[in-house]
Amino acid sequence: MSNIPQLYACLYAKEFPAQALLRLRPELYNLPCVVMDGEPPFQQVCSLNTKARLLGMDHGMTRVEVDTFPNPLVLSRSVQTEAVTKGILLECAGAFSPLTEDLSKDTACICCIDISGTTNLFGPPEILANTLLERVRSLGILAQVSVSSNFHAAVCLAKGLSLRNSIQVIASGKESEGLASLPLTVLDLTEPQKETFAIWGIHTLGMLAALPEEELIARMGQEGKRLWQLAHGNCAHLFMPVELNFVLEERMELDNPVELLDSLLFVINVMLDQLVLRAKARILALASVTITLSLEGGRSHSRTVRPALPSIDKQLWIKLLHLDLEAHPPHAAILAVILHAEPGSISKVQSGLFSPQLPEPTRLDVTLARISAIVGEGNLGRAVLEDTHAPEGFRIEPFTLPARDSAPIAPSQTQLSMRKLRPPETVLVRLQNSRPTALVYRERRYVVEHAYGPWLAEGDWWNQTLWGFEQWDIVARAQDGSLLCCCIMRDLMHDEWQMAALYD
Amino acid sequence: MTDRYVELHAASAFSFLEGASQPESLVERAVDLEMPAMALLDRNGVYGSARFHTSAKLNDIRAHVGAEVSVSSLGQRLKPPSWLPHQHVAEPARLPLLCKSRKGYQNLCQLITQFKMRETTKQEGAANFDDLEQYASGLVCLTGGDEGPLAAALMRGGEEAGREALERLLVIFGSSNVYVELQRHQEREQEWRNQAAIRIARSLKLPVLATNGVRYATPYDREILDLFTAVRNHTELDRAGRLLALNNQRHLRSAVEMTALFHDVHGAVENTVELSSRLQFKLADLGYEFPRYPVPHGETMDSFLQKRVEEGVVRRYSPKRDAALFDRAKKQVEYELRLITKLGFAGYFLIVWDIVQFCKERNILIQGRGSAANSAVCYALEITAVDPVGMDLLFERFLSESRGEWPDIDLDLPSEDNREEAIQHVYQRYGELGAAMTANVISYRGKSAAREVGKALGFDPESLQRLSSLVNHFEWRGPTDTMAHSFQHAGFDLKHPRIAKYLELCMRIQDLPRHLGQHSGGMVICQGQLNCVVPLERASMPGRTVVQWDKEDCSDLGIIKVDLLGLGMMAVLQDCLELIPKHYGDKVDLAQLPEDDDVYRALQRADTVGMFQVESRAQMASLPRNYPTEFYDVVVQVAIIRPGPIVGKMMHPYMRRRQKKEKVTYPHPSLQPVLERTLGVPLFQEQLLRMAMTVANFSGAEAEELRRAVGMRRSWERMKNLEGKLRAGMTANEIDPATQEMIIQNISSFALYGFPESHAASFALIAYASAYFKVKYLAAFTCAILNNQPMGFYMPAVLVKDAQRHGLRVKPIDIQISDWACTVEHEADGSLSLRLGLGYAKGLRQQSGEAIAFSRREHGPFLTVEDLTLRIPSLNRKELTLLARIGALNQLGGIKHRRDALWQVERAGKLEGPLLRQRSELLREISETTPLQQMSTKERLAADYAGTGLTIGRHPMAYRRPELRRQHVLSAEELRSRRDGEFVRTAGCVIARQRPGTAMGFIFLSMEDETGIANVIVTPDLYERQRLVVTRSKFILAEGPLQNQDGVIHVKASRLLPLSDQTLEIRSHDFH
Repeated sequence: MSNIPQLYACLYAKEFPAQALLRLRPELYNLPCVVMDGEPPFQQVCSLNTKARLLGMDHGMTRVEVDTFPNPLVLSRSVQTEAVTKGILLECAGAFSPLTEDLSKDTACICCIDISGTTNLFGPPEILANTLLERVRSLGILAQVSVSSNFHAAVCLAKGLSLRNSIQVIASGKESEGLASLPLTVLDLTEPQKETFAIWGIHTLGMLAALPEEELIARMGQEGKRLWQLAHGNCAHLFMPVELNFVLEERMELDNPVELLDSLLFVINVMLDQLVLRAKARILALASVTITLSLEGGRSHSRTVRPALPSIDKQLWIKLLHLDLEAHPPHAAILAVILHAEPGSISKVQSGLFSPQLPEPTRLDVTLARISAIVGEGNLGRAVLEDTHAPEGFRIEPFTLPARDSAPIAPSQTQLSMRKLRPPETVLVRLQNSRPTALVYRERRYVVEHAYGPWLAEGDWWNQTLWGFEQWDIVARAQDGSLLCCCIMRDLMHDEWQMAALYD
Repeated sequence: MTDRYVELHAASAFSFLEGASQPESLVERAVDLEMPAMALLDRNGVYGSARFHTSAKLNDIRAHVGAEVSVSSLGQRLKPPSWLPHQHVAEPARLPLLCKSRKGYQNLCQLITQFKMRETTKQEGAANFDDLEQYASGLVCLTGGDEGPLAAALMRGGEEAGREALERLLVIFGSSNVYVELQRHQEREQEWRNQAAIRIARSLKLPVLATNGVRYATPYDREILDLFTAVRNHTELDRAGRLLALNNQRHLRSAVEMTALFHDVHGAVENTVELSSRLQFKLADLGYEFPRYPVPHGETMDSFLQKRVEEGVVRRYSPKRDAALFDRAKKQVEYELRLITKLGFAGYFLIVWDIVQFCKERNILIQGRGSAANSAVCYALEITAVDPVGMDLLFERFLSESRGEWPDIDLDLPSEDNREEAIQHVYQRYGELGAAMTANVISYRGKSAAREVGKALGFDPESLQRLSSLVNHFEWRGPTDTMAHSFQHAGFDLKHPRIAKYLELCMRIQDLPRHLGQHSGGMVICQGQLNCVVPLERASMPGRTVVQWDKEDCSDLGIIKVDLLGLGMMAVLQDCLELIPKHYGDKVDLAQLPEDDDVYRALQRADTVGMFQVESRAQMASLPRNYPTEFYDVVVQVAIIRPGPIVGKMMHPYMRRRQKKEKVTYPHPSLQPVLERTLGVPLFQEQLLRMAMTVANFSGAEAEELRRAVGMRRSWERMKNLEGKLRAGMTANEIDPATQEMIIQNISSFALYGFPESHAASFALIAYASAYFKVKYLAAFTCAILNNQPMGFYMPAVLVKDAQRHGLRVKPIDIQISDWACTVEHEADGSLSLRLGLGYAKGLRQQSGEAIAFSRREHGPFLTVEDLTLRIPSLNRKELTLLARIGALNQLGGIKHRRDALWQVERAGKLEGPLLRQRSELLREISETTPLQQMSTKERLAADYAGTGLTIGRHPMAYRRPELRRQHVLSAEELRSRRDGEFVRTAGCVIARQRPGTAMGFIFLSMEDETGIANVIVTPDLYERQRLVVTRSKFILAEGPLQNQDGVIHVKASRLLPLSDQTLEIRSHDFH
């Protein structure tokens, strides 16, 4: 154990969703800006800048309430942007010490840095704090920095700092005095605790620290002890540094725009080598690979391939990516390629000695990918009926092994079978008194002998996806005497006749 | 032309969440389609049939009565096959039954009652074959549509099972009473079932019958049915799937449509007309018989009644020592008894008399209200307390020969418990099938509609909460005050399609019934046979049964009812009658309260907080003008602040005349005796009757008919006839046309809202009694009113502050002294004070409060906090904290102040186990003193309001007074000395917000400070600008010109400012 005294710096950025979105847009600094969170139409303000607050806007306001203010800038919350910005902040903090703990919560970004023993490197704590703050500011983020030899004291202090006074350092041993004037809100109290302290008339950390320790513990238990120590600035902390994420990503800018898929595969081959190598180094495999192509014209094209099992078989990956890109080719020349892989554990399952040989999973994946490339995505799997009256009331689910044998379905009394046409084919229908009398189907003309219907169905009237159709069961005869038994359908929304099914 | 088809299977919204149109809408649609008759068959009841019948009668359509009855023996109703994903739950098939005759109707009612009452709680229930066999006669049975037994049997076991089911029905109902029903909603599977049904009908030689299984009036209403289906199945529309209707075909169809639809089925449509002609029963032939009262042998009900009345006349009138009055009373009673005998109402009067006697025996205060107070018989039977002979009230308003309907007596009882006692007495006396409560149909209103539609459309709970809390409860609905406006204020974007649909659906389901509740006090009685008149079912309250019709339905069908109502003020009076002799030593008799100048002075000053009927802001604003000096002035006062006189522009002329600012005139000299008491201004319904009798020679009964005709908006026809008769009478009496016009104007504008004088007199008696007790026995009155909250216009905080201003000492909750209820204490100087009860500690359970009082009585005062927690183990930490916070523990040993107590209870609330406790010296606290600071005045005030809803310390405004004075803000008291028109500023705590329907959108704020109550008028304009301040702020500073007219003071606000509220939890009484 070294004798270096402990020292922590805490970096605290509030209104983080707004800061993250405005960071790279200095032209908007002077506008009142709010960030809305939630699904429309139920969004609420989750963060806002000072300008907006001064105008009277507040957290929790709805869109319509915000619109009552003159020209507010309304942005939607972006978790990705926040994550990226936080990553940048952590990286920035990491430049001062490899030991950084992320304490971010809700709409604030907080991280605490163990800066013990860095005096020779970065100067005394005040200087370090100043440097840190300047670097954060240069990234476009306003924050506060506090330094204390106690981890929690540093965090509390940072939360209690105002924008005007954005740096504070408490000397070792003076934590209690330094924290005394802070309000209890810096402590993350539970509701019952808040209530208890409020009726006791305890409003600041100083007042809390002044309570007799044992008697407080008799009333609030070990949690009381922890709070008391926090107020004194001597609560111990087990530091849990963030591990920088292991990101399997490769990016390559192409010198010239590439149009041919084959030439792209060369590039992909090299990049996959790297990814597989890095994954192997950690005894991992690739679970999925996302390829993102930056295209001419500013657009991008992104595809993800995910076989049933993680794999480090480069040839398999190349094959899968090739098939996928063939089925979904980019529509412009390619400028850059990003390969992003999700790591997964290598799965080696030992089969039983006497169990029957199953097809190799990777080969099945290739086969399914081939079929999918032909029939289109979402059209491979098994059809499952849905609980709806709607005409296309089914969905396709990936094949799975049934959990147990389903009960055999009793055959219904009538054994009539029909072939449903999917998609339905257009049919020309002649009506008389709203009943079909003749139809032209596949270029043959039929005269209707019997028409049963109309069977009416309509639904989803509360949605914009409302639908409605009428069906007729028809027995019709062509001039050559051939019989057609079919179901024709009229889409009531578009007034179109279609052949829905043929009865055998 | 559409007499070729009659819809014989329709359900209304009274099939609760399985039908989407009001019975009236169905009738309206049938009229449009020129349908001559129609049958209403709601699920398991005849809930909608009364309204259906009334509406059909008005529109000249024959209304057939029936019901769809669940029958468990017929198996489960149709569901989608198991291989299709669906969420249908198992329900018994429902058999459509139609009433051929009165016998059939009685059987249907008994059948439904039988299976409904078989359940022990409120449930749908289901009949079985035994029930059907017992009550089959007089009923026609259809085989039903999707919900019916035939469809279920066909799907279960094909044609064979269908035929068996039908044969079973044939055995029960007989071959001439079973019709094979066919419905065509353009569904494929249904048509398969229809073809099977036709084959079965043919083989069994049964007639087929076309119906449309109607669930709503027009195709568009299918949306409401889908919405209701989602609500009924507790799901969202997006998730309801196959529960929803496949299409919108279950609407009322015309004969042309039905004939075309069933062109291939011979006789199906024609049979509807044939069956309709067989259904002879109408609800008008209900066969309701008047209840009988059991009388001793040798007596008839009439003779028994006469004796009781004669005794009563002597008891009531002899103490008045007025021979002339006594004679008049005897004559009046004779006249009334003659009429009662003639109409056969003696049983009814005896039943009510019996209830009154029952209450008197148990010392329960009871008093009749409403038009019954016009009857000398009611007065003699002690049903009412107002002497109609002495006050010259008009009997015909209560009962008249030609009216053809039962009299209506409402009885006021003190409290819920007493009321329940009286109700149970009636049940016991007339049997479970002889008496029941009237129903109360719970319909969709703003809030409930907003909540349930939102849920069905899948809005999240938080948005729903936000929305339903914002649906406005103001009485007046201004141009901007629509639901749409409320939505926008809640932050919803109306342009969003789903929000727009939401709003539309909310509007469309307004007033549609949701479920059946029970009316708070209306009871119908029918001598053991009520179940032949209307089905009975269990209410959700244990021990209660309820009929399937509400008050108006019962009244429309001439079913007699007694209203047993709880009236908070009666409970206060009853408590006063106990407290006053106990603490003041005075004997008081409600019937003999003396006329007292002090009481009238308080009324004249509008010093009426807490008094019955005269305490509201509007009453206070008119009391100084009315300046009551005798009892009749109070009667007028009670009646005049009502929408009727205000809308009819009667209030201001009366007040001007009362203040001698205007001459008293009469529309015609002959009306002077009628209108003299009210200074020439007609105020009461009785006066209207007398006017017609005087100027147009109407009989009492005709005059009453006129009043009712004017009151009913739909009966223009009747009104026209009566108006002609009125004019003719007046012309015969040589009244000139201009005066005639004025009199008719008077009658029609007023009759709509008028108030019966008898009712006003009954209420005035209670009002005077409450005023008398408040002025003479403040401690007892305040104690009683605080123990009977919630009631009246003001919150307890206001009542306490008012009592304190009148010199009453109010003492805090103290666990060493307080009982659960508030009590009266005797001070050393002989004065009385009020001790707040533990019940005012918000959040203390009654069981804990009573345990405290009991333990103290048994084992003496509590010593320490520890002693308290050991003796009352049921006290939890929250309750201890609450008691400590409001200072109720301050008298315990070792406690110096509230925070000290808080510090100690927090320790005491976490006691060690019994083993450790034996070594308690080890657990003793190290320091004796508390480390917490004493509460500041502000903190104490906040704790008082949070913990008890009131403070007995200084008024919150008193602490701000110096600061307010610097800002030239006047107190409520100081406003009284300012001139009319002067620009003033005042501030206070808002105790009531009102937007009366008669005030064109003006809002009245009542603001209290330490000196009294000030009233502020907010214009609609100002409200629009400062909506949040008006509706949310607890403390407001208002400025504007003062209106000081005849001692009535208002500030007409031109600007409002919110004052910071120190986080006080003050509640105001809003929007009534």
